[in-house]
Amino acid sequence: MGRLERVQNTPLRIGLVGAGGIAGCHLPHLARLGAEVVVFSEAGAEELVARHGTGRVVGSLEELLAAVDVVDVITPTPTHTAVVTRALEAGKDVICEKPMARTADDAAALADLAERLGRRLYPAHVVRYFPEYAALHAAVHRGDLGELAVLRFTRSGAYPTRTPWFADVEASGGIVLDQMVHDIDIATWLAGPVVSVSAVSTHSAPGAGDGGEPAAAAHVLLTHAGGAVSQVNGFWGPAHLQFTTSFSVTGTAGSLEHSSAAERAVVTDLGAGPSDDDGAGALVPDTDPLDDPYFLELRELVAALRDGSTPRITAREGAEAVRVANAALEAARTGTTIRLIDRGARA
Amino acid sequence: MSTSTVTIGLLSFAHTHAETYAALLRDRGDVELVTCDPGPHAAGELRGAEAAAAWGVEHVGSVEELLARGLDAVVVASENARHRELVELALDAGCHVLCEKPLATSRDDAAAMRTAVERSGKFLMVAYPVRFSSAFGQLRDQVAQGRLGQLLSVRGANNGKLPTSRSWFTDPALAGGGALVDHVVHLADLLDVLTGGAQALTVSAVGNSLLHPGAAAETAGLVAITYPGGLVATFDCSWSEPESAPSWGGLSLTAAGTGGTVAVDVFGSKVRGLVSSSGLPVELAYGPDLDEAMLDTFLGAVRSGSAPQPDLEVGARTLSVVLAAQESYRTGRTVAVRPV
Repeated sequence: MGRLERVQNTPLRIGLVGAGGIAGCHLPHLARLGAEVVVFSEAGAEELVARHGTGRVVGSLEELLAAVDVVDVITPTPTHTAVVTRALEAGKDVICEKPMARTADDAAALADLAERLGRRLYPAHVVRYFPEYAALHAAVHRGDLGELAVLRFTRSGAYPTRTPWFADVEASGGIVLDQMVHDIDIATWLAGPVVSVSAVSTHSAPGAGDGGEPAAAAHVLLTHAGGAVSQVNGFWGPAHLQFTTSFSVTGTAGSLEHSSAAERAVVTDLGAGPSDDDGAGALVPDTDPLDDPYFLELRELVAALRDGSTPRITAREGAEAVRVANAALEAARTGTTIRLIDRGARA
Repeated sequence: MSTSTVTIGLLSFAHTHAETYAALLRDRGDVELVTCDPGPHAAGELRGAEAAAAWGVEHVGSVEELLARGLDAVVVASENARHRELVELALDAGCHVLCEKPLATSRDDAAAMRTAVERSGKFLMVAYPVRFSSAFGQLRDQVAQGRLGQLLSVRGANNGKLPTSRSWFTDPALAGGGALVDHVVHLADLLDVLTGGAQALTVSAVGNSLLHPGAAAETAGLVAITYPGGLVATFDCSWSEPESAPSWGGLSLTAAGTGGTVAVDVFGSKVRGLVSSSGLPVELAYGPDLDEAMLDTFLGAVRSGSAPQPDLEVGARTLSVVLAAQESYRTGRTVAVRPV
């Protein structure tokens, strides 16, 4: 019996590796999709399962790999390569949080490995599933904007301070690889391959903010093969900062723009209240629970694994986003413009 | 003293702002205005004596004749590449000068204008109206009060339509370039205010002319700039507003620091609606006239004789950013800014 038939006829068994900040955007959705979820994490697995009332905790990655068909990797970025490699080598299909890996070589190697082993690897670039970005992509794909010329993307939120690895550029790639990789991926999705990258970045001096709160910012300029240019702006600021995003895309036939701060369905002004303490400093944007992009993403990726359909993101695209983001890090560090060779030409 | 009449000359109607300046100066009770728009004039554009008649202002036949009037000050609104010549003549004739932005299109011209200022003892103000906006003033004050903490990032967008009412705007020889020169200077001026006149360190620029393939220079541009003290900025200076858009464009700025963010949309206040028959949007922009606020400062300085801001050095620093952006766009490299 073929593997696909087998998984279609039995509940999908998914192994969730990691139980950090993004786990709440994976575990309940996997459960809602009817999956039996097995969780392994070095920390927080029991609490995660208790909080969501679903999932079974196991004590090791080996145990998890022996019990599941698909692995969903949501560990810190610097561990992605090792965990994904083990899952692929154990014959599992893999969903992996973005960025797919810390370095361009590692990300490309993961895509190569998946291909060689005949396994599927889907990086979780969730912004492709946010309805405003999906609507933008559909319009661009239909040709509504003509040939794209100028694209701008911004993303701004609280500095992630709960765990130290986020802010450690060596470990995570900092704001460029952790946050801005989303919009770098969207720019590439819309305007095609990137041929050159320049970037500037900065970080607060120690103790510069109120109470020493850190902040970081970067601006990345991309030139696409077709001549379009993109600007990607990222900011991590104080804890009170609301998570906001925006885009502005102009082509020869028209333009589209969006601002999450402007397009709010509910605007409240209730004074201080008991419900006020969860909103500020969120690590993920506000979403409509009826249209939750994390659910839409996992539903599409799980469906692809079950029925062989093609999702809107591939391992190669995830690896390309990592490559461009690392070029931006190098451009900012060295103060130079980085030219990217064609992926096809490299092979 | 403050109500005494000052005599002002308006030199050249090449820039579209000349009409605005002419109308504002004409309508003031404390200004005596004389204009001169020396040729040659591009065909099909309202220029010279004909324009002056249409605007209801006095026009004389030559620059020499205008300067022979012994004016207090002169407003130079010529093509960018012709600023130097008129500015030098005006300063040497003993007039203070308000010079349309950008100050100049080359390092040499800017240096010569600096020499002319020093030699004449008169002042030169660069026409950067946006810094006079109250919305930007709030950001400036919040930065100055430390409300943003350590200022780390500024991103600005100054988008407009392809300038078509004057053909020289898209002629690199007269404009000194394309979108990169036309709009980067405005945002660079605002950064100059926020940084207290810091000299930019490096500039990267990318661009294209995809939206206007016939144009002789870039019509879209994105720049990234580093400033001392860990500040990074990025601008979109593209002429990306379609000709059919309900308004000319706009200028927005978001500053971010350890204390949080402030977003300013200088021309964002609009009454919005629809035309029933076509479904097309209507935008009725409102808000103070920033050119008027800028002219107030200029005329006040002409009366007092004390040099106003933004001065020639602001013009030189902002020009240095433009020249670096153009070099970066041309070479595909990140460029260290050479002070002008």
